[in-house]
Amino acid sequence: MKDVYILSIESSCDETSIAIVKNGNEVVALTILTQMDTHAEFGGVVPEIASRMHTENITMVLEETLRKAKMGVEDVDAIAVTYAPGLLGSLLVGIEFAKVLSYVYNKPLIKVNHLIGHIYANKINDNLHFPCLALIISGGHTELIKMTGDYEFELMGETQDDAIGEAFDKVARVIGLKYPGGPNIEKLALNGKPTYKLPKPVNDDSYNFSYSGLKSSVINLVHNEEQRGNIINKEDLACSFQYTAVEELTRKLDMALKNTNIKNIIIAGGVSANKYLREEINKVCLKNGAKLNLPEFIYCTDNAAMIGAAAYPLYLKKDFADLDLNAESTISIC
Amino acid sequence: MNLFIDTHLNDVAIILYDNLIIAKEIIKEKKENSRIIMPTIKKVIGDNKLSSIIVVNGPGSFTGVRLGVTIAKTLAYTLNIPIRTVTSLECLAISSPNHLVAFSDNNGYYVGNFNENMSLKEEYKYLSNSEFVLFSSKNEVSIDSELYYDKIIKYALEKKPINPHQVNPIYIKKLSVEK
Repeated sequence: MKDVYILSIESSCDETSIAIVKNGNEVVALTILTQMDTHAEFGGVVPEIASRMHTENITMVLEETLRKAKMGVEDVDAIAVTYAPGLLGSLLVGIEFAKVLSYVYNKPLIKVNHLIGHIYANKINDNLHFPCLALIISGGHTELIKMTGDYEFELMGETQDDAIGEAFDKVARVIGLKYPGGPNIEKLALNGKPTYKLPKPVNDDSYNFSYSGLKSSVINLVHNEEQRGNIINKEDLACSFQYTAVEELTRKLDMALKNTNIKNIIIAGGVSANKYLREEINKVCLKNGAKLNLPEFIYCTDNAAMIGAAAYPLYLKKDFADLDLNAESTISIC
Repeated sequence: MNLFIDTHLNDVAIILYDNLIIAKEIIKEKKENSRIIMPTIKKVIGDNKLSSIIVVNGPGSFTGVRLGVTIAKTLAYTLNIPIRTVTSLECLAISSPNHLVAFSDNNGYYVGNFNENMSLKEEYKYLSNSEFVLFSSKNEVSIDSELYYDKIIKYALEKKPINPHQVNPIYIKKLSVEK
């Protein structure tokens, strides 16, 4: 079969990224322009500023990607773009940009769900084998999904309130850590011990998660200690929070592994970059004789290569979008 | 053929121009612009070959301007043709005998003050509704004038082309985080 090259675009949050991916698993070129330093000044992503920077930079990111690939847009077979979920204004820049490429070069347009992109990041290392359990953990999502084949998803459980990444960021703010909160909690926790007793999130037999109660108990603990004039050991608190938050995931995953007897596990989403979490999940997998598959570090955070990987099965199915494609801020996988 | 793109407000104007207006689509319905802009551009261009792009780069609706500018700079970059920008306030001043012009975005007014030769008398500004009431009582301002696209396009074509990478919206209005 002829090789398929997909030019893919990701602009759902604060990274402007364009890639060319061959046959859904080989990255020919990838450019990621992060805006993190700009947003750090404001203590978090400012959606309007993110959108502005995408517009300022997107043609230069394309030029850089084509230069690295030694290819032109005319050499690719399709244009893929993240259309959901994410910041509407940011998504729209990528979408309109993709439409122009599709129109000018007369190439099919493929719309890709950002979360499915995170799952297919595993394809790049040829690590996506079915059936598998996918744990999606990010600032907006905490979901356990069963996959039986390409684009065949079954939701087993999800968060009933806050996403795990959201809880990390809010706890980081309460203990005075800078943006990005999640990675800073992880750093701080390295020097701490889990000495603070925090309530277990959802102590039931479902595959659902909950992070709002855990988050609130950390916030209350900080306020109470402050009122009593006690000094908080931030390292220990970060460690205790991370311990409890991750234990919730591993307990549910352990249950799912036992009940389904599935042996392939993938984790996806921004929080999967947390090394402590990776180690703990790996322990549960080893205990159950399952294999944990992880994307390379560069494909864990937002990037266009994963969008190209996720677009490939859609290209084969000829599942194409039109020029009236719109962005959607929220969308589920299943 | 020159393609003119104006998406700075809810109304979208896409025009094909070659010494005169060849094709024109003005969409007034308040639909999601992202659904309509590219299909409209495709329809207006038809089988014609583009030789340059003109885009209204604001000020106006942040998202609206951004969509138009993103499309315009990407078209110019990929087709390797010249691109020129014209501001929404220049469009009004070119279309109106009065060179002190303003338009409303519901919360306030964007104001442009030009000399006869279309150079700026002062920087563009954004006034709240109450500030504008005071301003317009002291100055003769043309508000929301009708746009004459043939005049605007002729004016814009006299301008110097810009490197597509450097084409960006102007926003004028401050963000809440900047205040």
